[in-house]
Amino acid sequence: MEYGVATTQGSEEIDRGLALAAEEMAAKAGVKPPYDEMQAPDGSVRPHFAVLARRLAALGPGELDERQRTLERFFLLQGITFTVYGAESSTERIIPTDLLPRIIPADEWARIETGLVQRLQALNLFLADIYGERMILKDGVVPRELVLGAPSYRREMQGLYVPHQAYANVCGSDLIRQEDGEYAVLEDNLRVPSGVSYMLANREASKRTFPGTFRLAGVRQIDRYPDLLLSTLRSMAEWRPNPQVVVLTPGVYNSAYYEHAYLARLMGAPLVEGRDLVVHDNMVYMRTTSGLRRIDVIYRRVDDDFVDPLTFRRDSSLGVPGLFNAYRAGTVVMCNAPGTGVADDKAVYAYVPEIIRYYLGEEPILPNIETFLCREPAQLSHVLANLDKLVVKAVGASGGYGMLIGPHASIAQREEFAQAIKVDPDNYIAQPTIQLSTAPCLIDGEVEARHVDLRPFILSGEKITVTPGALTRVALRKGSLVVNSSQGGGSKDTWVLAGPGDDLS
Amino acid sequence: MMLARVADSLYWIGRYVERAEHVARLADVMLTATLDRAETAAQVARIALSAVGDATPEKIATPFESARALTLDRMDGSSVVSSLALARENARQVRDQITSETWERLNLVHLRLSGAVAARSFNDGSSAFLHDIIADLHLFKGAADATMSHGEGWRFLLLGAHLERAQLIGRLLEVCFGRGVERLDHPTLTAVLRMSCALEPYLRVYTADVRARPILEFLLLNPEFPRSIRFSTDEIEAHLSVLARHTEAVHTGPGRLAGRLKARLQYADMAEIERDGSHVFLEGVLADCGAIHSAVYDAFVAYPLEMRLPA
Repeated sequence: MEYGVATTQGSEEIDRGLALAAEEMAAKAGVKPPYDEMQAPDGSVRPHFAVLARRLAALGPGELDERQRTLERFFLLQGITFTVYGAESSTERIIPTDLLPRIIPADEWARIETGLVQRLQALNLFLADIYGERMILKDGVVPRELVLGAPSYRREMQGLYVPHQAYANVCGSDLIRQEDGEYAVLEDNLRVPSGVSYMLANREASKRTFPGTFRLAGVRQIDRYPDLLLSTLRSMAEWRPNPQVVVLTPGVYNSAYYEHAYLARLMGAPLVEGRDLVVHDNMVYMRTTSGLRRIDVIYRRVDDDFVDPLTFRRDSSLGVPGLFNAYRAGTVVMCNAPGTGVADDKAVYAYVPEIIRYYLGEEPILPNIETFLCREPAQLSHVLANLDKLVVKAVGASGGYGMLIGPHASIAQREEFAQAIKVDPDNYIAQPTIQLSTAPCLIDGEVEARHVDLRPFILSGEKITVTPGALTRVALRKGSLVVNSSQGGGSKDTWVLAGPGDDLS
Repeated sequence: MMLARVADSLYWIGRYVERAEHVARLADVMLTATLDRAETAAQVARIALSAVGDATPEKIATPFESARALTLDRMDGSSVVSSLALARENARQVRDQITSETWERLNLVHLRLSGAVAARSFNDGSSAFLHDIIADLHLFKGAADATMSHGEGWRFLLLGAHLERAQLIGRLLEVCFGRGVERLDHPTLTAVLRMSCALEPYLRVYTADVRARPILEFLLLNPEFPRSIRFSTDEIEAHLSVLARHTEAVHTGPGRLAGRLKARLQYADMAEIERDGSHVFLEGVLADCGAIHSAVYDAFVAYPLEMRLPA
């Protein structure tokens, strides 16, 4: 049972392969069991989980199931669903939600929080440098061609003023917990990260399901997220007296549409589509019932490529013609800034610890997963020699494509991949196979351990804030390590406990 | 101030919900009439099906199947299930503009109709099923009234609902009374009152004297009954006069048309209407409703940008 870089993206076959091989792998010597969030290796319950364990012990057999069904009805009624399009008709499914919360003690959270702030600070400085003086490239800390050749690098952003140097206003980093209990960053999502509405909806759900336990545990509140998001966005247009903020969505058929509408509603900001906006004389307006109204800040949930057909993809109808020019002219702010993807590129990821040292002169608080870059000859030979132990991933690909999970691949598959790597080494990275921690989940009425990861949300504008909560994604199938909602993954609430110095909000 | 697209969606939610309620009621009355004499049942079925536009002899002969199609046929754009799917789709697009309470009611009735059990529920007890749908739609309207701010968005919702209602009742009256007051028997006239949800309020005003002329008068000109055309045109005018206040006063189009229509009904005289033929009057009302719809679009939604750009 091991884990490569497959948490965020992985095909079903890969997943099934992992699940089948789980026991076989565990039997092999040298494989450490995963870290369990609730149970210590000696079988005792970790102290911060005690409050939940007591509640679970007190519940009758059918009760948990009953609560799960209540929760699912609540989600269906609220329309917290995604649509599955079929040949005849389309059906709506709720996002699988597990009602047992994952609990994080205050001291662990404090470390995560400072680590995330440090990381985003450095990444924002990195972006400002890359699109400005490029000192880090001149100093040879990060290879020039790695950055300037990345598909997510946007030369249009060169020399463009970004307030507070806050490029990634909303960031959702994926953390995992290794066998020794140490948190590590698997991926930084700096483009248009989603999932925050599930974090908030899961909280609503767990408050209903375990009201008493919730109170007893002393959980820090997350309901101020929309508030904080709004003030972060407003802080990006401080020169305007009362900046008009809008949320730009690709539209109702986007899988994250629910989230766009949810955030717009809770912020009190209009939810606009590209066709609602007009650019005239480098000013952006929205079409209202009483004519055109100027807007100042666009929280865009549309990918870089689609925001402006005049600047980026011409065939896009989701964006607004002329928007990027208005942005360059400084009359409107886009959040996140275009081109942030270059800082969460899979190859640049390997340099993040160096980036932190370079800009902040500090040691990284949250470690990376060890990553080998095939572009470096020494690392390439290590990768080729250890293909049976590593997970290899194509830099430009996502969705589980172009990935090799060494321990489960056939000799022929490894041979094929070795050839591909030799032909285009720049395009590949490799990581060791790692366990994900497990947490108790409700599966068919029974409490069982399932693998989880952690996605906290970090806001950066005038200042950087981390919301004391997160989306915990769960691989609901036994032994599976794939937590994507499209691949049988679900999510659960995350309780961050208040420490002596924290107030609950 | 609200997005033009949002106003458009709210307006259509109002229209679709009103249409769904009306069609559900027609289906229900049509089914109830099958318990009457065969001629009455056929007459009622003809009126109900004509009022939604499609009365073939086969459909009239099979009222149960026709009622089921009016309710559940997804291929029929004006069926209850289609209207509510469209209403909900519009609501999804403006999910940030309507309250959760309002959304939940609409989502719930949509789920009830589109679920796998809908056809079975209809077959098991069509009247109870339709009754529940209509009650759910009343809850939706109640939730909108009780929880949404009575501002611009709410007014667009009601504008759509009343414009649709005036047109639906207008069409029903045209079918029943347009070509001179036909010889409709007593049970059929009662069924017409039921189709407009007007039986009890009518009896209160005219007692049990169920005749064609007072029915026409009641559904056209009664100032208090919420489904009379007079009442709807009062509402349309009231909402439009406030909506126009939010906009710059460059377009008085829809407000003027609504005011004229309101006056036309306010000062109408039953004897005059009968002298000219009620179909003339009804056609005029329906044409005005269509003109108001276009004028609303021109003023609030699909206005030319050149007119609105800052100087």
